[in-house]
Amino acid sequence: MKRNKTLAVVAGFALAGSLAACGGDGGDDNAGDGPSKFIEAGSGFEKIADATGPAPEVEGSQVGGDITVHIPLDPGPENLDPTDGWSVLGNSIQQALTHRSLTQYRRNAESGDMELVPDLATDLGTPNDDYTEWKFTIRDDATWENGKPITAEEIKFGIERSFDVENFPGTPGQEYSVKNIDCGEGYTGPYSSKPADCSGITVDGQDITIKMTRPFPDMDFWGSFMAMGPIPLEGSEPPAYGAKPLSNGPYKIQEFRPNETLVLAKNPEWKPESDPGRHQYADTWTFKFDADQEKVDAILLSDSAESQTAVSNRVGATNVSKAKDALGDNFIQQTGQCVSYLAPDYTKITDIKIRKAIAYAFDYENIWLAGGQVPNVTRIPASTIMPPGMSGRKEYQPDGEQFTFDPEKAKSLLKEAGAEGYKLSFIYDDSAPELVDANAQQVKGFEAAGFDVEAIAYQEDAYELFGNKTSPINKKLNLRTVNWCSDWPSAYTMIPPLVTKGSQYNTAFFDEQEVQDRIDEIPTLPLEEQAGAWGDLDEMIGTEYLPIIPTAYRNDLFGAGSKIGGFTGDAAMSAINYKDLYVVK
Amino acid sequence: MSTPTMGSETVGHLSDETVPGDEPPAKKRQVSGKSPIQIALGRLRKDKVAMTCFTIVMLFVLVAIFADVLQNLFDVTTEPGNPAQQLNPMNELLPYKGPPSGGFDPAHPFGVAPKTATDNLAVWLAGCRTSLLIASLATLVASIIGITLGLIAGFVGGVVDKAISFVIDFFLTIPFLLLALTLAPIINQRFALKPDLYEKAQLWSLVAILAFFGWMGVARLVRGEVLSLREREFILSARVIGMPTTRIMVKELLPNLVAPIVVAVSLMLPAFIAAEAGLAYLGIGITQGNSWGQTILRASNYYDDYALYFWEPLLGIVILVVALNLLGDAIRDAVDPKTRR
Amino acid sequence: MFAYIVKRLLAGLVVVVLISMAVFALFWFGPESPARPVCESKTGGKCTEERLANFEESLGYNNPIYEEYGKYVKGVFVGRELTVGTQKIDCDAPCLGYSFKNNTLVWDDLVKRMPATVSVAAGGAFLYLALGIPIGVAAARRRGSLTDKVLVSTFLVVSSVPYYLFALLAWIYCTLVFEIPVLGSSGYTPFTDNPWKWATGLLLPWLCLGLFGCTQYTRYTRGAMVEALSEDYIRTAKAKGLPASTVVYRHGLRSALVPVVTVFGIDLGVLLAGTIFTEKIFEIQGIGLWGLNAVGAKDLQVVAATALFGAVVMVVSNLLVDLVYSVLDPRVRLS
Repeated sequence: MKRNKTLAVVAGFALAGSLAACGGDGGDDNAGDGPSKFIEAGSGFEKIADATGPAPEVEGSQVGGDITVHIPLDPGPENLDPTDGWSVLGNSIQQALTHRSLTQYRRNAESGDMELVPDLATDLGTPNDDYTEWKFTIRDDATWENGKPITAEEIKFGIERSFDVENFPGTPGQEYSVKNIDCGEGYTGPYSSKPADCSGITVDGQDITIKMTRPFPDMDFWGSFMAMGPIPLEGSEPPAYGAKPLSNGPYKIQEFRPNETLVLAKNPEWKPESDPGRHQYADTWTFKFDADQEKVDAILLSDSAESQTAVSNRVGATNVSKAKDALGDNFIQQTGQCVSYLAPDYTKITDIKIRKAIAYAFDYENIWLAGGQVPNVTRIPASTIMPPGMSGRKEYQPDGEQFTFDPEKAKSLLKEAGAEGYKLSFIYDDSAPELVDANAQQVKGFEAAGFDVEAIAYQEDAYELFGNKTSPINKKLNLRTVNWCSDWPSAYTMIPPLVTKGSQYNTAFFDEQEVQDRIDEIPTLPLEEQAGAWGDLDEMIGTEYLPIIPTAYRNDLFGAGSKIGGFTGDAAMSAINYKDLYVVK
Repeated sequence: MSTPTMGSETVGHLSDETVPGDEPPAKKRQVSGKSPIQIALGRLRKDKVAMTCFTIVMLFVLVAIFADVLQNLFDVTTEPGNPAQQLNPMNELLPYKGPPSGGFDPAHPFGVAPKTATDNLAVWLAGCRTSLLIASLATLVASIIGITLGLIAGFVGGVVDKAISFVIDFFLTIPFLLLALTLAPIINQRFALKPDLYEKAQLWSLVAILAFFGWMGVARLVRGEVLSLREREFILSARVIGMPTTRIMVKELLPNLVAPIVVAVSLMLPAFIAAEAGLAYLGIGITQGNSWGQTILRASNYYDDYALYFWEPLLGIVILVVALNLLGDAIRDAVDPKTRR
Repeated sequence: MFAYIVKRLLAGLVVVVLISMAVFALFWFGPESPARPVCESKTGGKCTEERLANFEESLGYNNPIYEEYGKYVKGVFVGRELTVGTQKIDCDAPCLGYSFKNNTLVWDDLVKRMPATVSVAAGGAFLYLALGIPIGVAAARRRGSLTDKVLVSTFLVVSSVPYYLFALLAWIYCTLVFEIPVLGSSGYTPFTDNPWKWATGLLLPWLCLGLFGCTQYTRYTRGAMVEALSEDYIRTAKAKGLPASTVVYRHGLRSALVPVVTVFGIDLGVLLAGTIFTEKIFEIQGIGLWGLNAVGAKDLQVVAATALFGAVVMVVSNLLVDLVYSVLDPRVRLS
């Protein structure tokens, strides 16, 4: 899952810390005198196939009140069309509050871990022996905000919709549904294909059966995406539907202004018994996008009337200690399976020695501090492509030791490669002082290591630029970045998007047949061997090619006012767990 | 009559119109033997406020001119520091040494910035230079455009006057901020591929944006003055003896316009300095070098934690802007023949 | 008089048309295709050349600029049909286009957002006068005294702080630090919903605008009063033995107000065109914030609409100023 624009670019520069000691043991929240240590993601999620509604009550929960969520530095989703949703922020909000799909996550109050439970389906789906066919039974008591029941036909329509590459390019459905669900060659969704429906998806009463083109054991995880949810057959034409889609969760959309606000109100048609994961505690939700970080921090720290029912999905680095003191339990450090990488252009920087020199010339800690991140709290030095906590992950160091800022070593590597004074061209965003400062540190580090640096100021979406083959700026670049969060805790959502030829997020343009073949092969292996195989592949890619340099595993800091209860993080989404929030009277 | 004032919503006052009442300063002048400029200078010299402000302004100008010499003198640079060693991550990324928690640090007289550990004094000096440079250039460009168009409109009259007056009205109607917001990224984007030119391009685009929307006041003022001057005997006689128009404008008219122009300019400068700071908030302006506006933006959430960092650039701007404004007022009073002390 | 108004309106119309053309051209001839932002947004960043071409065609950007401008103008007066993606949308006159960002008709948004900006602007402008004129008169009456100097320089200092900082700190201190009862809860509530909340919520934005913007009124009023008070007729009035206040207010102020009104008219226009800073800091969903966001998103139709709206407001307020002017100052004849 990609990070939204601003965050992505902030993260591009703001990475890492240098203490190797923090590599292994996470979770020790209050150790030492620091605000807190980096927390590692738990491994995998429990699956509770027989969970039923209503969801277990959150301890101490109360009904009523209005919650305001401030979202600093992130413009939020452009539209709310469920088929489009593929951002950490947008999905975490919509999936928790307004839009249901086949499956969902909920937080186990006792263990504090996330677990996968059914949503619109009655269980987590039944696969056939080789995972080439999945069958879900749709529950009959779920309804839309207009009171109409949600039908299996509507879910079929929702899945078919993501095949429409013209209306929904760059959506998760294109990555997972199109590649795995068997709708026949050239199927482009209900709006443009003849016949309009997908032959691989059949509906029989409340049952929906999905045929796959290849074994797809992760369907239950994929089912938690809104792209695997219902879309009304009528009145849902893109792009207008995205402005105000019909809700089916506990809340409905009252007002949506892109980049500004999203206001949600209770959906009276939602029945708690029909939903094993969600609650309907607060009366309204107001999300304020692209908020000013300073203002939001000031609100949270003030404990004024305004702050008590406020939530912030990013606490500024310069207020971490204060926030921790002021907010107590309502200050959380959320892990997610999110990693930042440097992506040297594989077609231009062909010598692995130069790529290693880049890794040693990146002034991790300073870049990161100038960009407003706290070492070992929000960032930790990274080594593998897969983040900690992902099953099958193999701990290894691409160069035998942790990459740290070591200009001398970088220099000698450059000398060995015969590339002294090698010119690095990269972009940086100069729209905020923080980003400019981080870049200044980055330039300083590269120059100290003997690189020639060309830093190009660029304020638009970086991924758009990286994907634009005709842009003269993009043609000039030889060092890009990418930040990636797993879509579910499997390397299948981590490694292929980053190193497959032609993938939008393979910004290094890495292309090796050996790796490609293995990526195609692993999903066909017996299920229990897959995780380990991904771990081996990770090591092979890192040590033999190092196409992308993992610079940091990321943590997010969330805060909430004193009258917000049930405030927890959602490790599955790397976001705030909106499902359990309530207002204390 | 009057002007495009740039109210609070348009980032400060770009109004360079003189306060009404001092309008035709030329009328009663030639009575005494001294030239009006001499009279004005004499008055200014006796004005304590004016002289204090003048001294302050000159100090800032000197600082701006010798910014790099001063940086060397104090042995500080605007290069980014080493945050990993200089800043305390357990204390909101504030510096270990020096203010706000410690005492005076001789290596960094103004302290170092949080997050980046850059030296504050060096940045302040560079900011002074940039802010003054931008404001002066913008004032220069705006005055040249304004004076030229005003002279032509007033002196030639007729269709030309109508046309120029229309252009002035047109510019007054343009939503300044909106256009500045639209233009800035376009200009920047043009130079994105030439990083070495980018810094200069940003500076000049800011100057252009400020000047483009600040020249109308001067133009109107000059036009009004010329209209009243051109029927006077000395101009008429210059015409009769066949002096070329351009020569009349430059040799005869312009010297008589010096006073109002000086007033206009002295009020334009502070307006532009303040405008730079305001535009920085909206992301318009220079991101490459250091300016006071940019420093204030960076420091705006440290009003409490690190007051020194916050007040340094802010006081710089406030003192300079106030001094310039008071000086402008004093000059206006001095050149106004109606004010008697 | 009537002929004068018509003449001015015609000239204003020309200005408005020119501005709309300028904005149109600015995007059209900008560094990238005007369809690209739409394409990037709608394709989630996967805007290929082919898709871009499709968008250019459906948005009409492959036609000559004058043709599209013609359609735009026609839309404003008689409405038109817009193609959005695969859909056709009826856009009734006055049609200002379709916002790809908000997925709404631009005119509808404009109407929705106007009350907030008008509320902010009206209150702020009122305070410009309510604060600026009395203080200016007070300073003028005690010209050269300590009071005069303190008044003038205090306001100077306030107005030389960057406005956004002034407003931001005012908000932080009133709302968060001291939690001042009424001032602290700022935000926009439509007047029709709850007039009391409307007024209290806007009090702080008004005060910020007013305090910050009244400085130049103080200075203008002071200057004009000083001048007026030195006129012969004031001396005559004084000599006649009229009370000082009558002299100052009835005779002095009236003529001093003339130039103030001119400045005020333009300021009001600027405010009505969008109070960008105030709306951003106090999170008021008005025209200014709308325009600011639209510029960021390169939502051409919205930018054009806000520019157009601003120009119309400026033209009208300029005209009003001249009319008021002629009433205040009998020497002025409109022609």
